[in-house]
Amino acid sequence: MKLALSPGRALRGSATGLAFLLILAPIGVVVVAAFSPTDYFEFPPPGLSLRWFVEFFRLDNMRNAFVLSLELALLSATVATVLGTLGALFLARRHGVIAGLMQSLFLAPLVFPTIILGLALLLLYKTVGMPVFPGLLLAHCVIGMPYCFRTVLASVQALDPSLEEAGQSLGAGPARTLFLITLPLIWHGVLSGWLFAFVVSFGELNTALFLSGPGLTTLPIEIFSYLQFQGSQLVIAAASTLQIALIIVMVAGIERVVGLGRIIRSR
Amino acid sequence: MKSAWTWALLAPPLAVALIFFVGPLVYLFYVSVHAASPSELYGDALTLQNYSSILGDSFYLRIIQRTLGTAAVILGLCLIIGYPVAYFVALLPSRRRMVVLLLLLFPLMVSNVVRAYGWVAILGRRGVINTGLRDLGLIDVPLDLLYSTEAVVVGLMTILLPYMVISIANTLSGLDPRYEEAAQSLGAGPIRTFVHVTLPLSTPGVASGMLLVFLLTLSAYVTITLLGGPRSKLLVSMIYDSVVSFQWPRAAALAFILLAIALALTGIIMAVLRPARVQGTGR
Repeated sequence: MKLALSPGRALRGSATGLAFLLILAPIGVVVVAAFSPTDYFEFPPPGLSLRWFVEFFRLDNMRNAFVLSLELALLSATVATVLGTLGALFLARRHGVIAGLMQSLFLAPLVFPTIILGLALLLLYKTVGMPVFPGLLLAHCVIGMPYCFRTVLASVQALDPSLEEAGQSLGAGPARTLFLITLPLIWHGVLSGWLFAFVVSFGELNTALFLSGPGLTTLPIEIFSYLQFQGSQLVIAAASTLQIALIIVMVAGIERVVGLGRIIRSR
Repeated sequence: MKSAWTWALLAPPLAVALIFFVGPLVYLFYVSVHAASPSELYGDALTLQNYSSILGDSFYLRIIQRTLGTAAVILGLCLIIGYPVAYFVALLPSRRRMVVLLLLLFPLMVSNVVRAYGWVAILGRRGVINTGLRDLGLIDVPLDLLYSTEAVVVGLMTILLPYMVISIANTLSGLDPRYEEAAQSLGAGPIRTFVHVTLPLSTPGVASGMLLVFLLTLSAYVTITLLGGPRSKLLVSMIYDSVVSFQWPRAAALAFILLAIALALTGIIMAVLRPARVQGTGR
């Protein structure tokens, strides 16, 4: 691909610079603001301080929202990974109309407008009297499941089926084959599916908007209602920075375990 | 025996998908064709009035029009900025491409409320731009940059841009360079090669990027509310407003109108770009 003209390359280079500035600047501003020593947002901040992080953990509603979001993300990612892995193991080697339909069903929440799913679940939960926490948990599972399904499906399809057949011909039953052969070979896919489900749940807005209840608010919704009703207090910047930091830690951890290329390909 | 075992694999994910995804949507549709009720979620009478009153109301039609217009501008900007960026990324050596793609993926993992807050901090009356301009002595009174359709467009466009770039870059970097070499050896210049070879071959990436950006724009309630304020409401804001005023059948009908728009536009994008004619011929 040496055909690039140099004006073309300059155009692409400047578009890329502009795009990265527009994409990353808002995140950068939030992180800088979180370390402000001042009462109100000033840019650039006159110094550095951790007072807004202290304030974050002092406020009950913020701390509770943070803990709830962590619990939801850990639990829903785990359930979604189990469900997605089961579905992927079943569908990976199947073809035909029914298998195709089921694959579309499992992937559908990925592109489905989540605000509609949130409203639909709210009506269902109101009718059957579902408590808030399991309701949120199930919503986050539905949204996280496609990510796990997709990454595990790709891993199973990349697997040489003769390995499983070898296990079975040597006398291993289906359960032994699954736990001793298939799972150890696809665990990269399982793990990156779990990471995606965790991250998606931790930042989820559209279903939690409808399904959060009194005293049970997720961190993104708590940030949203603070911004809407109490203005941009800098404790929001601290909350946002904690969100960003947690995601960096997760991505870095997974990068060490699974490798960079796999995270990107699984997208 | 073996088949019973494998079907047991399918039962749990299928049950969750049917009970908590398909089921609630069917129920939502059921609610949308019932009359409102002051005490219950919906009344007894079966009616299409929820739909007809929305589609016959010029207020809602203006909102739908504004939603489509805003989405079209966001899509256009994402495509115009995203395509050259994707081309740049696709030409990078593989290790550096990975790093750049990770830099694009990371913002997508940060919650949209955080990224919208970043734009509030940049565009607000005490924000980065207004303080900067005041310190330079260019303005005395802060500019009202926030709470406008333009703010929604800038915010959503930058929030969703990585989807467009990643989709197109993945398609472009998977292209066989021999197609372009063949076009050139047959005498096509770089522009002709791009228009007649590279661009058509990249339609699967363009189509999936456009679909993601469009569908996520439609349901981006939080970003639209924080950056658009009360004057720049879109269709999704109407769904939320109906919910907080307990107009359940109306909210349900609005949701299905939103869904119909999403499906129609998906169909149009697929029909115009026809990504399927490229797939499977890349190798």
